[in-house]
Amino acid sequence: MRIFRILYFKELKTYFLTPFGWLILAFAALMQGLILSTTLEAFENQAQSESLVYLNFTSPFFWFYFLFLFPVLTMRLFSEENRSGTLEGLLTAPVRTWQVVLSKFSAAYTAFITLWIPALIHFKLFTTITDIPPPFTNGELYGAIIIILLMGALFTAFGCLASALTASQIIAGVVCVGILFIHFLLGLVTTFFGDQIIAAPLFDFISSQNHLRDFSRGLLDTRPLFYYLCSAAFTLFLTHHLLDYRRWKP
Amino acid sequence: MIEISSLSKHYGRHKAVDQISFEVARGEIVGFLGPNGAGKTTTLRMLTGFLPPSSGAARIAGKDIFRESLEVRKRIGYMPENVPLYTEMRVKEYLRFRGALRGLSGRRLRTRMGEVLETCGLTDVRRKMIKTLSKGYRQRVGLADALIHEPDLLILDEPTNGLDPNQIRAIRRLIQNLGQKHTILLSTHILSEVEMTCNKVVIIDGGKVKAADTPANLVNSMRRAGRVTVEMQAPIPDAEAAMTTFEEVTKVTSEALQDGWNRFTVFVAPHTDTRAKLGNLATQKNWPLRTLSRRVGTLEEVFVELTRKD
Repeated sequence: MRIFRILYFKELKTYFLTPFGWLILAFAALMQGLILSTTLEAFENQAQSESLVYLNFTSPFFWFYFLFLFPVLTMRLFSEENRSGTLEGLLTAPVRTWQVVLSKFSAAYTAFITLWIPALIHFKLFTTITDIPPPFTNGELYGAIIIILLMGALFTAFGCLASALTASQIIAGVVCVGILFIHFLLGLVTTFFGDQIIAAPLFDFISSQNHLRDFSRGLLDTRPLFYYLCSAAFTLFLTHHLLDYRRWKP
Repeated sequence: MIEISSLSKHYGRHKAVDQISFEVARGEIVGFLGPNGAGKTTTLRMLTGFLPPSSGAARIAGKDIFRESLEVRKRIGYMPENVPLYTEMRVKEYLRFRGALRGLSGRRLRTRMGEVLETCGLTDVRRKMIKTLSKGYRQRVGLADALIHEPDLLILDEPTNGLDPNQIRAIRRLIQNLGQKHTILLSTHILSEVEMTCNKVVIIDGGKVKAADTPANLVNSMRRAGRVTVEMQAPIPDAEAAMTTFEEVTKVTSEALQDGWNRFTVFVAPHTDTRAKLGNLATQKNWPLRTLSRRVGTLEEVFVELTRKD
């Protein structure tokens, strides 16, 4: 646990003691603000049947920036150590590989979580600034935040996997975007091909778009919880073995 | 300290390290030599647990490098080739991080940091970012990193690679001092350095151990070292005949010099000295003698002789 903590704080420093993490945070806050203001404009023009939270998180712009947060946060993690050779120093110190994987994942995930503080503040400030009751309930807001954090766990794990694959940050980033984009498209299969295809329940089960819609209506479902946590754990398991590959390859 | 028995590493069909065996006793400074691609770095990586061996075994301080990897890693300080460091960290910060990873904390970590900064001459640059340091200083940071937890065994992969002569001398002095407390295994290309610092040499080539001995023994047992040059005024056939009667002499070649003297090159068996006999011979036969010298070999010649491809 001690080793994990040391490694975790070392990684966390690279996010928060360099301009890097703050730039991503600024970018995320900017996008969250832009999306919120365009959604509010829609409210201004006509009455809406859905809540502000729901419309905010189902806005098409949301996925556009959300998916790009992960490669930026994670592409550096293993590939940079691999390229510069520091991985050798790290793995010949008395540390276990899982401690390295888990600490890097946790640091990236912590950075990801902090990106949602601005969004939370935006919604919390709504009444203070406008002096009208908020057009959403807390259930919807927390539901949306929960599913975003759950998706974040899996997507950050995808990023770790992509980063452990290669010594080039660029390739790691591209692979990460690729995996996320395929995952995103799989979630759209039933939208394009209808519910009649045999695998429709499967595609619905993994569709992040569906999960986000349900949760931002305040509908908590344990199936996505299970799906994201298990897949994240499995992806990290793969990352661990990828990193340990040199130890058992023939 | 290190016991290696038939350790091998294959990359597909390529045998990077092929059944090497040697031992290093506690307190020795061992030079690990070999041409590029001989398998030095692969061997060191196997010893430090970065790569697993394909077959064979090695023990460090009695612990198996594969099964008790973590225990082994606690006992070694390893400086990889080209000294990879986190360049965005400051020297002190880096050493604190590496020391903590090795299980140091609190006052012990602080005193050890002070000591290694002092030993490696880094006190002046301790607050600098590693990326602003010159190659020589980075090398020292790598050494400080390997030393911070007072390991029993130091494994240094080309510690003087890319340094200028002054820096090489400084690092060499440092290694000599460290040798009083630690067992050191260092790989290098610079043979003069090995002659000066190491009390044992292991030469490998093509993944196999070619020699493992003290530098002095290696030089003495070398073929080319057993060569005596004699210059005297003697008829060539008579002198050659007389000299080949000695049992140590394997071959004599001769050449006539411009000034009327003849030069004989006498090849003798290793570990023998025939100079006295040759001197006596000249006096007996009344041949004027002006040069009688035995060639002292260098480690470089041993290295070339053992690793030459032809």
